[in-house]
Amino acid sequence: MSEDGSGAPIVRARGLRKEYGSGGGLVRAVDEVDLDVAPGEALAIMGPSGCGKSTLLHLLGGLDRPDAGELWVAGRRVDRLSERGVAQLRRHDVGFVFQAFHLMDELTAEENVELPALLAGRSPRQARRRAAQLLDQVGLSERAGHLPSALSGGQRQRVAIARALANEPKVVLADEPTGNLDSAATLDVLRLFEDLRAVGLTLVVATHDERIAATADRMISMRDGAFAGETRLAGGTRGNLAGLAGWGE
Amino acid sequence: MQQEAVLAMLAKEPSSGSRLRARLNDALGPLGEAVNEGQVYVTLSRMEKAGLIARGEAAAPEAGRKVYELTAAGQERVADWLSEVAWPRPDLAEFHLKLVAAAQAGLADPVGIVDAQRRELLRHLRDVERAAMAEPGGSQAGLLLEGIVLRLQADLRWLEACERAWTNWRKK
Amino acid sequence: MGTALLVFRLAARDIRRHAAQALLLVIAIAASAATLTMGLALNGVTSQSPYLATRAATTGPDVVAYLTSASQATSLLRASGVAGHSGPFPVASATIRFDGRQADVFAQGRSTAPAAVDQPLLTAGSWVRPGGVVIERTFADALGVTSGDRVSVGGKPFTVAGIAVTAAQTPYPNLCNGTLETNSPATSKFSNACPPSFKIPFLSLPGGQELASSDEVGQIWMTGADATGLASKANPLTTYALNLKLANPGDAQTFAYEHFQSNPLAVSTWEGTASEDALLVQDGQGVLQPGALLLALLAIASVAVLVGRRLSEYARRVGLLKAVGGTPGVVAATFLAENLALALFAAVIGLVAGWLAAPLITSPGAALIGAAGAPPVSPGTVAEVIGLAVAVALAATLVPAIRASRGSTVEALNDIARPPKRRDTLVRVSRKLPVPALFGLRLIARRPRRALLSAANITVTVTGIVTVIAFHAYADNKLSGAVALTAGGLSNPVINRDEQMLTVITVMLVTLAVLNALFTTWAMVLDARRSSALMRALGARTRQVTSGLVVAQVISALPGAILGIPLGLVLFKAAVHGGTLPPATWLAAALLGTLAVIAALTIVPARIGTRQPVAQVLQSETA
Repeated sequence: MSEDGSGAPIVRARGLRKEYGSGGGLVRAVDEVDLDVAPGEALAIMGPSGCGKSTLLHLLGGLDRPDAGELWVAGRRVDRLSERGVAQLRRHDVGFVFQAFHLMDELTAEENVELPALLAGRSPRQARRRAAQLLDQVGLSERAGHLPSALSGGQRQRVAIARALANEPKVVLADEPTGNLDSAATLDVLRLFEDLRAVGLTLVVATHDERIAATADRMISMRDGAFAGETRLAGGTRGNLAGLAGWGE
Repeated sequence: MQQEAVLAMLAKEPSSGSRLRARLNDALGPLGEAVNEGQVYVTLSRMEKAGLIARGEAAAPEAGRKVYELTAAGQERVADWLSEVAWPRPDLAEFHLKLVAAAQAGLADPVGIVDAQRRELLRHLRDVERAAMAEPGGSQAGLLLEGIVLRLQADLRWLEACERAWTNWRKK
Repeated sequence: MGTALLVFRLAARDIRRHAAQALLLVIAIAASAATLTMGLALNGVTSQSPYLATRAATTGPDVVAYLTSASQATSLLRASGVAGHSGPFPVASATIRFDGRQADVFAQGRSTAPAAVDQPLLTAGSWVRPGGVVIERTFADALGVTSGDRVSVGGKPFTVAGIAVTAAQTPYPNLCNGTLETNSPATSKFSNACPPSFKIPFLSLPGGQELASSDEVGQIWMTGADATGLASKANPLTTYALNLKLANPGDAQTFAYEHFQSNPLAVSTWEGTASEDALLVQDGQGVLQPGALLLALLAIASVAVLVGRRLSEYARRVGLLKAVGGTPGVVAATFLAENLALALFAAVIGLVAGWLAAPLITSPGAALIGAAGAPPVSPGTVAEVIGLAVAVALAATLVPAIRASRGSTVEALNDIARPPKRRDTLVRVSRKLPVPALFGLRLIARRPRRALLSAANITVTVTGIVTVIAFHAYADNKLSGAVALTAGGLSNPVINRDEQMLTVITVMLVTLAVLNALFTTWAMVLDARRSSALMRALGARTRQVTSGLVVAQVISALPGAILGIPLGLVLFKAAVHGGTLPPATWLAAALLGTLAVIAALTIVPARIGTRQPVAQVLQSETA
């Protein structure tokens, strides 16, 4: 469990709005959303597909522009930033993990992971070293020289997570990071997230996977573009695991 | 505690009570902590009374120790049990009726009940996850934990559906 | 029947959805169709020889003789084979002045009544009258006069009564182009006879050599009295023109040979004059035909790029068709139907445009009747142009169509395009370079075939530009040697016409070259959308991304551009025999200029692309 609310929120949104289409076909993907995320917090945004959580995450990461509202990330006002400013945000403060991974198919795992560091101006050697370290952290050292086509879905997801960490961001935004994974791979990702939180990273995850939600500090459910409720799971009880499995009564 | 499970554990070789408990703990991992020594012996004596096991003396290395072993009836029971395909029954009807009764009698808001239950299940899920993360990969206990996780997920999905449905009905 | 309807509907819908691309395809094919039409029309004009039409309409003579006295006519008229005549007409030499321009003229004295042989056909105004002159049409254009203007001939004021064409003399400025006499009538050429008794310096060259600069003599007609009135003691009347019609026109060469062996400059035959007329038109072809070829190549290249891009969009549709039972034949048919329909449409547009524009080029000296309206577009021309358009569409679509219809259905449905290639060395090297180079090189490594196609397109573009430059250098040389404006201030219609043709070809080549470059760069930027968006998502600056696209485009274009230079020179040499090559500085400038334009053309779509938010691009693009 992490403590809450010391210092200013690292992500702050007021009245975020994003619409698609026009006239009768107008869709409010994100509808007047207010959000505060404390540094080091793990936040899960839950909801069925089409509820707008992916869009919200894109807005938080500067990958899309809101139609209205204000957004601050790591102290910077994001909704007004130029493309150059947003690129800077992605280079230093925010790492994004896409639902579809979006790895470059013609680059090996380590070439994919080192790319953000190269883009940020690190020397090739530094970037490569960082990539090796990250791949080790996600447990893919032996696969560093493999192309994405030679990796399983879970491995690709881990490469994508490693890539998001390349520039030591303060915030990691992950869009359905376990959407394409089986049960075992999901556990790997959960472990990884725990490690990240242990070093103070802020994590905002959009997901409809209850497993991630259960391990988050806070859970926000989203429906039709707006927040519908918030849950904090109190208590640290170990509970009666055996009872859950039907053993011991 | 499932009698047959304990019985089956004796199929490999006769064991003392404490040996048996140790083996159970191994297989169950974190769940094994819920099992205390006393419960094992209670089950063992019940089964002895039913004629499924018999007490005896241990063989050479542990001579002097009391061990339990399967009787012929016990073996037959184990064989039957292994080939049984009955699956643990789900328990949904009770919760469903809880919601219906609350709604009909106006005793409580069904959506609130669902919410509370969801939160509880999420807490359980979190606990199981934590335990799962602590297990080494590929352990037998880990597999068991995965099963718990998946069923909790399934239950949570149903609870989500309940929440949607009862919210809708509440509006009418 | 059902399949045909389905094919038609699919094709129509797809065209509407990609209207811009369809338009570009149409433009590319229409441009080359138009040029081909003009080339063929020109070809048709020379082979048909409107000279014959003029000859028929003016009762053109078979032999024209210049005599030093009227009495010399008697013996000629009694010669065997002569079936009709007109003249002898007095021919005075004088200087015409109009609006600050001046030139020498042969003024033929005629009666107001029509002559039996060689009655010039009026294209404006009326025939000669006292004080009214009629001017040969090309000469009138060069002089700048129209019917009704006031001119001065031999110092005396006249009015331009009318403008006419004749088959008896070659039109200005080749009036006196000389005669070639050899040992036999068959190989001799009697054309443009000019009386040697005229005091015009260049005519006194012996031996009938080709007179290159007899540009300054024009043909006019006036009344007999006016003509004799121009003579003076200083400028006596020494020449008479006699037009002869023979019983057998085929005997003209023999007749001229027999009767004028000693003085070939004094006679011309209708065959000789006809061939001189044809020459005017023939060298125009030397410009148009290689031009048409080049445009066709550019059109094919542009079409290939356009179609190549759409291939991946077809993949999905192909999969659907096959999944519901379409045979490879049906699939290929839909794919081709669109492009063929567009090609045919473009061919028709090109035909019409070429037909309308052809008179600019094909008015053969303006002196021959055949040029009065647009040249007839024969069925042969139509067939050839449509054939070209269809060939262009087929050449560029057949391979992708067949490949698309043969590929695996499942792959097509899942839109698994060919995976991008990986080049170890290139990727390894690029990581040490600054971001734009890193991105640009990896883009090229990703799709080497696209890079190659890009280079090929630029080769064609640069070839076209180099050819145009070479033509211009050559034309400049030619013009500075020749007299663009005569001493008297008249323009040279041949050179004018050459310049006109050159301008038209240049404009079309450059337009098509620019369009081609535009297609290529735009296609590359679109292909790289996903990669560009990802780079931005990972923190690359927009300027780095744009520069990377420019790097990729320029690097893949460079070898193509360099190759284009020798190719363009080869093409030029093939088209213009004996043309001199343009200076190396021009070529270098063309190379650098092309690369600069390509870079600029890449920046625009790149910039536009980076305005779109990353998330939207990634969501709309598949691998």
